[in-house]
Amino acid sequence: MKTSKCNLWIACGMALVAIILALPGRLHGQTAASKSSGDKEASATRWSLQVDQVDPGNLDLAYSFQLAIYENLVEELKKAKQFQQVFRDGDLKASDVPNLLVLKTTVEKYTPGSETQRAVTTVSGATKLTVRSQLLTREGKVVLERTVNGDVRFFGSNLRATHNLAHNIAKTIKQTSWSGSGQPPATLTDQL
Amino acid sequence: MDRLVVSRIHSDGYHPDRRQALWLSAALICCSLTASAQKITQRGDTSAPFRTQATHLLGFANAKNNGTGTLSVQGDSLQFQQNGKPGATVKIALVRAVFLGAESKQVGGLPMTLGKDAVPFGGGRVVSLFAHKKYETLSLEYLDADGGIHGAIFQLTKGQGELVKNELIAQGVTISSRQDQSTKESAAEARHENK
Repeated sequence: MKTSKCNLWIACGMALVAIILALPGRLHGQTAASKSSGDKEASATRWSLQVDQVDPGNLDLAYSFQLAIYENLVEELKKAKQFQQVFRDGDLKASDVPNLLVLKTTVEKYTPGSETQRAVTTVSGATKLTVRSQLLTREGKVVLERTVNGDVRFFGSNLRATHNLAHNIAKTIKQTSWSGSGQPPATLTDQL
Repeated sequence: MDRLVVSRIHSDGYHPDRRQALWLSAALICCSLTASAQKITQRGDTSAPFRTQATHLLGFANAKNNGTGTLSVQGDSLQFQQNGKPGATVKIALVRAVFLGAESKQVGGLPMTLGKDAVPFGGGRVVSLFAHKKYETLSLEYLDADGGIHGAIFQLTKGQGELVKNELIAQGVTISSRQDQSTKESAAEARHENK
């Protein structure tokens, strides 16, 4: 009985020692990770971004939707604070900026919904948008390519889908580890 | 006996009342006719600045999103003024394109939505069937001082969008070839809303 108690104490002590030894390493890992993300942000902030007007492709997308996507994109990307400056399409100041990326957005799929249908049925009437977002350098090299969705399923007007889409695009750009350090960037193609 | 007396008293008293009512209704009809004539005069007067009630959805200069105010043409500028706040203006010469669209929205906003959800046995859904209103959307594309493209969207009551568009065309705004296509698109969208 005594020996089993003694063994239990030894096991507890060993576990405690193991935890103490493991903790600083983990903390060190965390610091390194935060440092690397800080570096990533610092390198990304060296770049500026120009948001191009939305290309509707071959789809029958209302012009108000195209404008709303464009305006929401500019707003969301400014809010994300990932880029040094965010320029609009046609801005003359963008030509003087050394590190400039261009964001091109092409609408791939559009499902028109109905606010009334959503309010009555809950499950149908969603407005859905799918776009292909490309980040390009001045020379036209694709840095990042993603397919992003945005929709409004329950509450809100149809234009709310454009806000959700722009928010998702900004989030995707922020979360993706694209090369913003000046080296030739690797192409990243994925679907969100 | 008493009843007869009472009815006589009533019948004597009603005659002048009816006359008064007739006079009052005639006066009201006259007033309404005068008011409508004044309205027509205001519309016909070209020197008066054009103004209409609108809801700013997004993008117009520094105006607050989803704010209701007055959209007006002041000289060479398009102005949107919310109650008691300085108006946001854009030079009409910088407006590149105007697009009209149609949209159907649920009325009442968030309070109405919450109220509908609180109705038992799905009664709120029935209310939703009838609690929607059609609006016109006016989309503008304009340039800022640096040449950057901006987009602004206003929500107007039915029929007002056309008036604003015509006013802007009269001020020299060109309508791009995409206009007709987009009008068709918005009509298709409105049809979808009606389904």
